[in-house]
Parts: sequence; structure tokens; C-alpha cells
Amino acid sequence: MDIISLRAVSKSYPSADTRLQVLREVDLDVEEGEFAVVAGPSGSGKSTLLNLMGALDHPDSGAVRIDGVDLAGRSDRALANLRNEKLGFVFQSFHLIPVLTAVENVAWPLFLKGVERRRRVARSRELLTRVGLAEHMHRTPGRLSGGQRQRVAIARALACEPKILLADEPTGNLDRKTALEIMDLFASLNRDGRVTFVFSTHDPTVVSYAGRRLSLAEGKVDDEPLGVTRHEDSAHA
Amino acid sequence: MPDLVFLSLRNIFRNARRTTITVFSIVVGFAAMACFGGFIEFSFEGLRENTIRTQLGHLQIYAEGYWEKRVSDLESVLITGPEEVEERIAELPGVATVTHRLTFSGLGTAGNATVNMSVVGVDLEGEQEFSDFEILVDGRPLDPGDPEGGLIGEELRNGLGARVGDWVTVLTSSFDGVINAVDFRVAGVVRSASREYDSVFAKVPIELAQRARETDKVERIIVLLEDTGDLPELLPRIEEILAGFDRKFEIRRWDELAGFYEAVVALYTGLFRVFAGIVGVVVMFSVANTMTMAVFERTAEIGALRAIGARRSTLIAMFLFEGLGVGLIGSGLGVAASWLLAAAVEAVGGIPMPPPPGMTQGFQAYFNLTGAVLLSAFAVTMVATLVSSVYPAFAASRIRIVEALQPS
Repeated sequence: MDIISLRAVSKSYPSADTRLQVLREVDLDVEEGEFAVVAGPSGSGKSTLLNLMGALDHPDSGAVRIDGVDLAGRSDRALANLRNEKLGFVFQSFHLIPVLTAVENVAWPLFLKGVERRRRVARSRELLTRVGLAEHMHRTPGRLSGGQRQRVAIARALACEPKILLADEPTGNLDRKTALEIMDLFASLNRDGRVTFVFSTHDPTVVSYAGRRLSLAEGKVDDEPLGVTRHEDSAHA
Repeated sequence: MPDLVFLSLRNIFRNARRTTITVFSIVVGFAAMACFGGFIEFSFEGLRENTIRTQLGHLQIYAEGYWEKRVSDLESVLITGPEEVEERIAELPGVATVTHRLTFSGLGTAGNATVNMSVVGVDLEGEQEFSDFEILVDGRPLDPGDPEGGLIGEELRNGLGARVGDWVTVLTSSFDGVINAVDFRVAGVVRSASREYDSVFAKVPIELAQRARETDKVERIIVLLEDTGDLPELLPRIEEILAGFDRKFEIRRWDELAGFYEAVVALYTGLFRVFAGIVGVVVMFSVANTMTMAVFERTAEIGALRAIGARRSTLIAMFLFEGLGVGLIGSGLGVAASWLLAAAVEAVGGIPMPPPPGMTQGFQAYFNLTGAVLLSAFAVTMVATLVSSVYPAFAASRIRIVEALQPS
């Protein structure tokens, strides 16, 4: 079943005295449980594609459906609810709330969802334990390493049990060793649950974990299934 | 909701230096407003008590129709036998004294000088309480055993060129229209708060005033309370007592008679409003600057919050709570600062002030920080902080998520 569906999606941005066409009539389906990466050089439209899939932006034309819901014409409030309940986001710069502890950061999407406080805290603790941060729950982001912050961001993205996890260059600010740890964590999460992963990346290491590569060039998507992934490799090992 | 308030409070202390500067500006503004309001309140209280205790009393009781006929036919609206009314009212707890007066105007002469005088005939025994706020500058107070003594205002003494012990003759007319004259000996010279009042004022025993007007009646009964704050409670009870008499009376409260006081209150209240407005604008700019900076600095965070499901209304509430928090902290510290300033002024014996226009003496000013004054300062501060948070909060809610999340 397609959990993400794009039909004839175009997106452009104003640039000097013209418009920069980033996506041209893109058709794309992502199935539930897939692990896909969006690859391409800088400025090719990777983030734009992810933003459209994440209901963070609107296409100039075409239709975007998330879990069967057409995003066109949805109110800001409806889109906020959809992002909160069906989507999880992991950013290159983590974007944690610096004044909150790890457990409070992870609990925040649950607060926005209206989950009762005790359940929020229990779920946040469980997720932080799952990403290996049981010992650092009460630290603020400023007292965590880059890898630990990204783990908190992953736990936050999973807090509301989303169907889709979107990550924009998730290893971009991490050293190689930490990047591999984070990708192993993503791979295990993708195996354990039925969460669909779509990442944008330059990093071949990240690509090696994916089952499908969506290469962007000239506003078009070149869809390329990958063979045995490191993800499956590590699962069989 | 508590979580949002909690996050807002943490955000307030995120940039401690900037928050400190903003809170400091609120504290200064709050303290300035509260102290100015306290000074005005002190001035009101001083003027009010002075007006009541030197001239008007808290209540004045007249025969029905007095205000219509006091000029054309005063004799018909005089009160006969005021003692029984006075005795009944004096029994009420909280009533300090009840007395009566008969006033008349005339030409006063001492030696070669002749001046206009406003003579108040008083019941010397009942009038003792009224002397508290008159300052005796020469001679002695009126003595119930001295039926021919009189007190004159300091400015009137200067006009007459009279000294203590001199005789003053007052020329007036009786109620029958016959020219009449009475003499009194200057027992003392007094100074009240008002120079104008002092320039015509003379106080004599009521028997002497009644002799001058050839009547045994009185013009008004004056009620002085122990505490001005008791007036709302005692007024209906006094009205009830008066209703029990066959005769009909009219009552006027002191504030209905004190036109000067009302004018001063209106003027000072206007000044306070202008001042509060200026302070409010300063606070608004300070808070608006802080909140706007906070929104700019936290753009990426705002984008992330929106991405994980925060609604626009959530962001608006978060920034409004931050503004509210800054206002509450500033106001709380402002109350403390105001109390400290008021205590410091109290400790040094007040601020010496020159005589107000038309008044004869300066005074030591204090800050009378009443609940109403602090509440006014609090209201201005909170409204200013909330209003100045509205635009930044709205701007934060309108930031486009994809732009907010772009690396800076």
C-alpha cells in the first residue's frame, strides 16, 4: 500500500528575475515500511521533496497524499495535526528545544497531541532507553554530544508512533562513527516497526542502508531499487 | 497548558542578560508609577483631611431648602434647637464630634483698616476637634470661657494690621435688615492650608454671630467622624436618625462641598494618567524589543515546533505567556522596589515640598502606596507587556516552516 503518493507535483522558487523550477511533474509512490533515500547534488530539490512529503510546504501544482489523505486545501490546523500524528521529522541540525531536558523534548509532540502527562513521560523514557540514552534523560541538549542529540531527535520523531519518518541529512552534522551508529539505529527501528523511512542525503553510507534510491536531477526523479542493503546485511548477520 | 507555561518561563531566562535589562526597565517604570501614584495619594489624603478638619467636617446638615434659599431668604432655612439632633448623632460610634455654625460676611475694622471678612460662629466646646489642623501662629486658641474672643487668619491679621488683644469690629446686617455691629478681641492668629481662606477667615463664639444676625438659630450642623473611611457606613445611619424628626433636613457630604479638592483630584489624576501612559509606552518598547529578538533568534526552533505538530495558536500562546511572565516578574519586583523606596522616604522623614499654589505652608511628602495605586501600576505594566507581545507572537505564528528550518 502506498503511504506517500505524489502526482504531477511541480515546485519552483523565485530566483533573481526568474523562477527556479526544482520539481517538474514528479510522480512518486512510497510503500508502507520502505526505507528510501532521496539523493542528489546540493540544490537538486531533495529538501523540497521531503518538505512536500512532510506537509511543511505546498506544491505549485499536483497532488500530495499522505496515508490516503490529500493535503490540498487542508487547513493549517489539520496539517499540524497530520504532522503530529502521522509524521516524524529528524533534522540535520537536530532542532531540539535547548531549555528542555531530553525527556521533555521527546515528550513535547505528545503534549501537542494532548496525551496525559504521566503517559507522555513514560513513553519518552521508553523511547530514550530504546535509542540508548537511558542515562542522559535529564540532560539538556547543551550537555549532550552531537550523536546523543540526534538520538533524542529520533526519539522525539517516534514519540507519536508516526507512520512515516522523514530525515533531512540526518548524519550531516555527525562524525563517521556516530553516523554509522545512528544509521544502525534507524535500520533497527525500520525493521522493528512498520515505519516508513524517507531520508535525504549526500552520504553514500546512508544510501547503503536504503532499499530504494530516488535520485533527483533537473527536477525529475530517477527511481532506482537497490540490491542487498547494509540494513538487510546487518539484519542477517 | 501548564507545560506551555513551563516552557515559556524557561524561555524567559534563556537570555538572562536581555531578560534582566527588560525586567529592570519594567521595575523602574512600575516603581516610578507606583511612587508617583503614592505621592498623589498622599497629597489627596492631606488635602482631604485638611479640608474636612479645618472647614467642612465630614457631613453638613441643613434645614430642607437651604441650598435654594440660602441667599434670598436664609432666615427661613435656619435650624432651631440643633442640640437634640446633635445629641442623637453624637451617640453613634465613630462620630468624633457634632457641632453647629452660623456664618456671615461683614466688614471688619481694626484701627484704620477695613477689610471683607467671612466670620464663622462656632460652638466652642464642639469645635475643639476642628482646631487640630489649624496652626496657631500667635496668641492662644479660643476658650469656651471667653465669649468675646476670636481667631483670625494670618493673612487677615496682615490686612487689618491687628495684633493679639486688639478689638475688631464687624459690621453686618441682622436678618431684619438692620445694620448691626459686633466686637471681638483677637485671641489668636491661625494659619490653615489655604492662603485665600486665611485672608478673610475669622472664628468667633456662635453667640456672638447670633447677636450680629439677631437670631438664636444656627445655619448648619457639622458632623466630624473619627475616620473618613467610616463615612459610607455612617451616612445611612445618620440619614435614618434625621428621618425620625418631624423637621426635614438635607445632608451634604464633604466631597460635595469641596470644589477645590475635586479640581485638584481631577488635575492630579490627569497628570497620573499621562505619566502612566508614557511609562506604559516605554515598557511596551522594551518588551516588544525583547520579544521580537526572541522570535528572530528562535526561528529554527519555531519551525521545528511547527514541524512536529505545534499549531499557530500554540506558538501565539507560548510567546504571550513569555510576555506575561516578564510582566509578572517585573511587576513583582516593581512592588518590592516601590516598597523599598517608600520605606527609604519614610526613614529620611519625607521629601520636603514647597507650598502648593494658594497654600501657606510646605509639607513633607511621603509615598502612600495603597492597594489602588499598586493595582493601577500593575494594570498598566501588564497591559503594556501583553500588548507589546502580541505582534511578535503573531509574527512567530506566521513564519513559514520551510524558511524557518533552512540552515542560517
